[in-house]
Amino acid sequence: MNGTTKNKNLAAYGGLLLCILVFSVVPPVFGQSIWTGAKLSTLMSDVIVTALMAVGAVFVYSLGNMDISIGGQVGVYATLMVLLGNKTGSLAAGIALSLAAAVLIGVINGATGEILKIHPIIPSLVFMMVLNGIRSIIYTKLGSRNVSLSSVDYSLLKQPWFMAVVLLGEVLVITFLFRYTRLGKNAKAIGANSVVAAQSGINLIQYKALAYVIMGLCVVLASVFQMGYTGSASDATGTGFEMNVMVALILGGMPLSGGMGAKVSCAIIGAFTYSLLDVGLPLIGVPNNMTFLVKAVIFILVVLITCRKRGGTLPR
Amino acid sequence: MKKKLVKKLLAGALAGAMALGMLAGCGGAGTDSKDQENSGEQNSPEENKDEESQGDTKEDGSGETDQAKGGAEGNGGAGGTIMWLSNLSSGIQYEAAKAYAESLCEAWGYKFQVVYGDSFNDPAGNLSVVQNAMTDDVVGIVASQDGGLQNIMEEYPELYVAGYNTDMNNVYGEGGSSAACATNEKFLGTIADGHIDGADLGKQMFDMVLEKGYKKVSTIVFPAYAYPNLTAGDASFRAAVEEYNKSAAEGDQIEVVGEAKVLEFAPLEDSYFLDSANQDLDCIVALCAGVQFVYPALKSAVDGGTCSADTKMITSGFEEDSAILADIGGDGIIQAVTVSPVENIGWSLTMLDKALKGELYSDYSASERFDSLEYVMDSPEDVTNVMEKALNGTKDPAMAQITAEELQGAASYADLKALFMSEQLTVEALAK
Repeated sequence: MNGTTKNKNLAAYGGLLLCILVFSVVPPVFGQSIWTGAKLSTLMSDVIVTALMAVGAVFVYSLGNMDISIGGQVGVYATLMVLLGNKTGSLAAGIALSLAAAVLIGVINGATGEILKIHPIIPSLVFMMVLNGIRSIIYTKLGSRNVSLSSVDYSLLKQPWFMAVVLLGEVLVITFLFRYTRLGKNAKAIGANSVVAAQSGINLIQYKALAYVIMGLCVVLASVFQMGYTGSASDATGTGFEMNVMVALILGGMPLSGGMGAKVSCAIIGAFTYSLLDVGLPLIGVPNNMTFLVKAVIFILVVLITCRKRGGTLPR
Repeated sequence: MKKKLVKKLLAGALAGAMALGMLAGCGGAGTDSKDQENSGEQNSPEENKDEESQGDTKEDGSGETDQAKGGAEGNGGAGGTIMWLSNLSSGIQYEAAKAYAESLCEAWGYKFQVVYGDSFNDPAGNLSVVQNAMTDDVVGIVASQDGGLQNIMEEYPELYVAGYNTDMNNVYGEGGSSAACATNEKFLGTIADGHIDGADLGKQMFDMVLEKGYKKVSTIVFPAYAYPNLTAGDASFRAAVEEYNKSAAEGDQIEVVGEAKVLEFAPLEDSYFLDSANQDLDCIVALCAGVQFVYPALKSAVDGGTCSADTKMITSGFEEDSAILADIGGDGIIQAVTVSPVENIGWSLTMLDKALKGELYSDYSASERFDSLEYVMDSPEDVTNVMEKALNGTKDPAMAQITAEELQGAASYADLKALFMSEQLTVEALAK
């Protein structure tokens, strides 16, 4: 590990540590504390969906790609889970159907860019529109803006300890795949230089498709918790989630160009940093309408610190 | 290199701390700190119930000085923070309601905090907003969004909740996702934004069309899945027209052009007026918030000559835009516009205050939702009166048609409701 990478890692952790420090010290001045069971539980509820998605997205971002259909996928999967859950009395059918859809979307998203020689964001843009259209049709047909689980017990999905266990499990699996198998190594190699990767015998179509499929499966897992948060889904479920993932990964120090600098830890650090801001800012008296501004200031600070500089310009 | 990084981190940390410090200062408004000073320890609702008698003795003495001082001592109030889950985040209506609510809370010894509900009324979005903003001293919620209300009440079962400016269809509507709230004793009901029953809205619009003598009209609504009452209002309007046409002379009959145009929460497109049927309308009946969503395209079409210069609109909504205000009534494009008085938030706050003090009215038995009165502005004089004499227009709590004393003075639930149904809250009263 060279000096620059080391420094970058340190700085990425610095953003999270700074948040922890500030939100440990300042809220007590206002008679509040982030270190209470209720607030930590809120933090876990706030972070779980973004973290689960971001960890899976590490594969796609390591390619130097991004997927903007994530929000649409969450919306449709959560809706399927509720509707089929109410029909069958179990979440299994909805989850199974969502997994099948995620694999299909992942394969198409990952492969078509390479096959058609188009920018990889375009297939995901198409899926974003298709999924939003499907969602709109579903809710228009239902005649309601939201649907709720009526006959399935989803209380386990609201337990912070369960969220932590699932997140830990996903992190371990994805870290293993990313660091110790050809899936991760080849994804990083493609992100570092796709021409060299191809000439080294890496099947670009296969590994790109697999990266998107892995992310898709993680999105399904995130959708389960998104749906389980309120036991419902709505025509707005998932809106903007692709941006949450992007912000989390950038906050965590993920290079948008992909390659060898991509790490699973980026997703966890970024997701927790972002959620700490969500939960911590109200505790120090920052008005609701100012939180976006504060988040933007902190985002740019962390980016300036964590990003590599080349020739005096900001990174790719 | 390490030194450089340490410098960077230190600079970042300091800048971040400075930014947070400055913005934290923004949050502590003068009134808030005053309230904190005066309210002292926050009590739980149960504790406050026990101190009911103490509250009674002090309530009568809450004169102007006490009000200005605020704090729990002002009227024996329960203290703590009341959170408003708002459906608005800007605009004259929002500012007026916030100013009035702040003044009432100050008078009654509460702090007032606004959080912005999910713009799509998404259950998870609303729950998340409330959870993130929740602090130990929140004692009640004024909800202007109903998405996820049941989840919020399950998460915070000790908090009282009262609705404002929403029909709470998720609570009271058929198969509503928050239906359980209706029978939750911590849920105190809601005062709607105008008519709850679409049939009443349709009838109101028909009466206006008839009064103005329009013969060719079209209707515009929001989607039924989001606002079923507007679709019902459209049906009611058309039914009223059909009924009227049965007995009207041929030249007096009203034509409603085509199906209702459904706006997917985006402004009306200019292309609406490319349809020849819409080019010579007498009036557009915008059952949705027409001032924001229909007026710009209509104004552009009238000015650009793509529709008849005589096409008018009747609708709802209120914007602090002098050009729009000048276009209401007289020869203006907007011939009538309705808006609910923002004093209505006083009903929600009073209910919360009474519940927190354990003084809920003896004639209050269960939560309910009810229509609010509306200012109907159909002349420049009405607009002037609302802008200069009403809380809605002035944003000045001193101009409120219902005072803190009147709210506290309501002896029964029926009296409190009657206040919000009284002539005080009409355009006619402002003219006097």
